[in-house]
Amino acid sequence: MEFVSPEGLRLDGRRPMEMRQIRGEIGAVAKADGSAFFEMGNTKVIAAVYGPREVENRSQQISDQALVRCEYTMANFSTGDRMRKPKGDRRSTEISLVIRQTMEACILTHLMPRSQIDIFVQVLQADGGTRSACINAATLALADAGIPMRDLVTSCSAGYLNSTPLLDLNYVEDSAGGPDVTVGILPKLDKVTLLQMDAKLPMDIFENVMQLAIEGCKAIANYIREVLLENTKQLEYRRGP
Amino acid sequence: MQEREEAEELVTPGEVLGKGSQLKAGRGAYFLPQNGTVYASLTGRRSLIPPSPLSSDQRPTVEVTGHSAHGAIPEPGSIVIARVTKVMARMASADIMCVGPKSVREKFTGIIRQQDVRATEIDKVDMHSSFRPGDIVRALVLSLGDARAYFLSTAKNELGVVSAESAAGATMVPMSWTEMQCPLTGQIEQRKVAKVGGQA
Repeated sequence: MEFVSPEGLRLDGRRPMEMRQIRGEIGAVAKADGSAFFEMGNTKVIAAVYGPREVENRSQQISDQALVRCEYTMANFSTGDRMRKPKGDRRSTEISLVIRQTMEACILTHLMPRSQIDIFVQVLQADGGTRSACINAATLALADAGIPMRDLVTSCSAGYLNSTPLLDLNYVEDSAGGPDVTVGILPKLDKVTLLQMDAKLPMDIFENVMQLAIEGCKAIANYIREVLLENTKQLEYRRGP
Repeated sequence: MQEREEAEELVTPGEVLGKGSQLKAGRGAYFLPQNGTVYASLTGRRSLIPPSPLSSDQRPTVEVTGHSAHGAIPEPGSIVIARVTKVMARMASADIMCVGPKSVREKFTGIIRQQDVRATEIDKVDMHSSFRPGDIVRALVLSLGDARAYFLSTAKNELGVVSAESAAGATMVPMSWTEMQCPLTGQIEQRKVAKVGGQA
């Protein structure tokens, strides 16, 4: 099947190095300490952060840092066929763990000992790149909650089909069976916190694909920073002098 | 022009605030020893606090003030408003509602011990003549206390019961630092009353 036409256009009309349209909104869930809604093309996710608050299970309390918990769920209606068990299945558990480790690496947990930070991400519509969209939404939600972080974490995926590196795969391109590299970085500190790939790639091509994904992450980081600054200005304006 | 000044001061997590040799990292910022730079850890306004002339380290402190998503938290030395929930033989338990002028987002519990109710004759204090459940008191936070509750004190003239309901259900009027009177029935009830303004 042809994923990149001879003219250089993908199935949805994008160029190989073009990312889908992204949109981020802060404050989607009023009750949560911090929340955000993030869209990457047709993939829509919502993230809610509660914390720092008292640990529910005293036995899990860590005396010198905060406990970070994360739960990834997909809504029943998020994929084409209605899903039977949207949480508790292996994929959801794996992605929950991945998001938790990624966010834990960037939250300054030593500032909040004996407390707990809960990150809940739910996919409302899945069209490839849900992992990345969830991490981006979680970053926005954590920043909204005022939880101190080393840097924003942004994530993007890239693949390699028809001998072309492609940025930000959608569901059709993802299910093609080609390699799918998901990268999460701390953009200002230039550090990688998440690197996952399925299928196989030769080393030199892998470097290209990873670099492409990192570029995508940096572009998302700029956008997320703008959203945060705009939101802060709005809050200050509403609060008054 | 003013917008550009504002944009200069608003920072997001991960932005460079300065060099560690020139600035100290305060709240909302952190210092990375590997490259000696101070980064922001919160979204908000960057502000510089000049060093106190007494300290040996003369670097200014850089702070980032977020839009404080959380409510206030009681600190030792802050004045709080609390509602008394339980009165026992040697202490009274209260729910802290406000810290200073701000209300709290989640419940904090405080304890007023018998020896902290007033400054004089502390061993002769009768808790039931000082507080009743439902009274609103102004208290001072002594310390973080134990795992269950903060330790509060009302041992000052301006601390104590500020508002209480009588047995009849009316808001009582303070008469002295030990008594309050119900306006409906005329009954006098004993409380440790706070000296509000210049009255009582």
